[in-house]
Amino acid sequence: MKTLWRRHRCWLWPVIFLAPGVILFWGVIVASSAQSLAISFFRWDGFGPMTWAGLSNYVELLHDPQFYTSLKNNIIWLVMFMAAPPLGLAIALLVNQQIRGMRLVKSLFFMPLVMSQVAVGVVFAWFYDPTNGLLALIFKAIGATAPALLSNPEWVTVAVVIAALWPQVSFCMILFMAGLNNLDESQIAAARVDGAKGWHMLRHVVLPQLRQVNFIAIAVTVIGALRSFDMISVMTSGGPFGSSNVLAYQMYEQSIEAYRFGYGAAIAAVLFVVMAVFIAWYLHRMLRMEREGA
Amino acid sequence: MTECHRGMTRRRVIQGLGCGLALSGFGAPAIATQRELVITSDLNTGQYAVFREIVADFGRRVGVRVTLNNIAHEANKTAIRNYLVADPPDICFWFSGARMRQFVQLGLFADISELVARQNFAKPLGPLLKTVSVNGRQYGLPLGGLFWGLYYRADVFARHDLSPPATFEDFHRTCAAARQAGLIPVSMGTKEQWPAAGWFDHLNLRINGLEKHMALMRGEMAYSDTSLDPVFAHWAEMIHDGFFLKHGTSYAWQQAAAFLAQGKAAMMDLSNFIQGAMPADAVDQLRLIRFPMYNASIGPFEDFASNSIHIPARARHQALAQEFLGYFYQPEVLAKFIAPIGSVPPRSDMSPGDNPLMRTATELLRASQGTSQYYDRDTEPAMARAGLNGFQEFRVYPEREKAIRAELDRVRKRVYAPA
Repeated sequence: MKTLWRRHRCWLWPVIFLAPGVILFWGVIVASSAQSLAISFFRWDGFGPMTWAGLSNYVELLHDPQFYTSLKNNIIWLVMFMAAPPLGLAIALLVNQQIRGMRLVKSLFFMPLVMSQVAVGVVFAWFYDPTNGLLALIFKAIGATAPALLSNPEWVTVAVVIAALWPQVSFCMILFMAGLNNLDESQIAAARVDGAKGWHMLRHVVLPQLRQVNFIAIAVTVIGALRSFDMISVMTSGGPFGSSNVLAYQMYEQSIEAYRFGYGAAIAAVLFVVMAVFIAWYLHRMLRMEREGA
Repeated sequence: MTECHRGMTRRRVIQGLGCGLALSGFGAPAIATQRELVITSDLNTGQYAVFREIVADFGRRVGVRVTLNNIAHEANKTAIRNYLVADPPDICFWFSGARMRQFVQLGLFADISELVARQNFAKPLGPLLKTVSVNGRQYGLPLGGLFWGLYYRADVFARHDLSPPATFEDFHRTCAAARQAGLIPVSMGTKEQWPAAGWFDHLNLRINGLEKHMALMRGEMAYSDTSLDPVFAHWAEMIHDGFFLKHGTSYAWQQAAAFLAQGKAAMMDLSNFIQGAMPADAVDQLRLIRFPMYNASIGPFEDFASNSIHIPARARHQALAQEFLGYFYQPEVLAKFIAPIGSVPPRSDMSPGDNPLMRTATELLRASQGTSQYYDRDTEPAMARAGLNGFQEFRVYPEREKAIRAELDRVRKRVYAPA
């Protein structure tokens, strides 16, 4: 027994250590993704018999005006969310100074990250309330009428994204603050000796060192934008009339509320492809960065 | 229709409580304790407290162990699809009408026609019997119902010299006068979409009558049908004349009800649960009238949604479950059960109680010639999803009528296509 173990331990140990992760990954992620993809070829109400539908769910998707609205909103989310990393960096630079009371400012910026997304959504929905909301009161104070952002089909997505940006910016801020703490002091000192300061220091000395962090911040932000769901559910339920819907929420709505699991799965498949493109790019970049680093 | 939400831990506690209560009633082990009844309910706090007592009473009387699990109303809507198939209780709560029919067709609810015949429930239930019947057989019993009509504050109407409208013409006059007085004529919050669909129901029931409305709900009539033209035309006119709360999609129904409670709005189209969203002094002033009549020869037909109680087809203790329904459905027991939410009693031999709004609702219901349930309860879920969306959009952009109706028809053709 002992010799058997000895002979095989060189590969047994890695197997034992990898097993939990591999089993979970295959069971929870890969298998259920495959099943979800399979469901997208059926008509299914969630518990009755499944009938083969071929590509009809996908064909219908192409003719569903709501699908294009959701896709467009996903893009709005993606583009607007790109403001989070630079804003986070700016705030991180701001609070990264030794000034009295900066700790309080730091924790204030950190706050939204501690709060649940649902709470943030509810608070912002109140903020936008066209009669009693803070926004309405501000507009009233300057003698104007506040726009009803959450019932305006053109502005509703922007309004929801702004609410979602709040915690996202503070998340990026945390990442950059950690990055700023790991800066190479000697490089900065050397640059200072050479007379670099302000913008030049930031652009040519600090930012190159933050490249890794920057990359992670962008990746996390893109993923955050694509899986946006809770804010929409809480603030608008995809409304008014679907104008703030995104793919993730439309998938939920079709599966759980309209009992169309096949169609919901087809939406999920499309979202998966969109994400896969991004993840491929991400992996490619990461591998290249590692090779360069090595 | 929000209800009280309960977490998992709470549920465990309640589970224990239910068990404990049921057990404490008959400590003597001499009684056959093997008999057991499992109930899953979806009640709000007030009604749950009452139901727990009723269940404990039943346990004591019959000498059985009763386990009562209460889950959040909204959570039950998704959980039921699992537990009916996998691990059914002996009694569960659901909604009569189309939502019930869906489960009956899948063979998930037990046929209780014999119980209904034995207890002669047909007589006190009257037309409500239809809401729990499929092909003449019964699959559940209706609980307290939601009667939908126009609510207004008597003191606000008196102050502004407004009169409650009986016909469409009156309605236009009253709304115009309310606008003159600086009020919002009709407060309607469509953030959750269904209030707009209810308005559509009312207009269609008044203009086209119950038969045509139900044909539309069953997918037999097209949304582009010309008989719906006046429905949308009248609605568009009301929107154009500024009868509804501005930026309605920003408000949930509770926020819209606040305008009525504060005396800033004249009327609101809702059901008895409006009382829960208002302070007591506002409720005292609240009056209910039926939705104005369009043509005296049509109807009145009303929206009357009723929840219901069922025995899952795969329940393990069918006989005991039937025994429980027989006990629970006695007029006095049922009256205790519906009192906390002030809904309309389903049995005609029950007293409507001392809540004046409940009495008005009961009178109006008995004066009606037939009822539908509510848009999202009468039509298929996938159709309802599209319809709610469409009506919410129409309420803001009536000029998009043609596109909305075409889209609804596209969905209708798909949803009701022969499989």
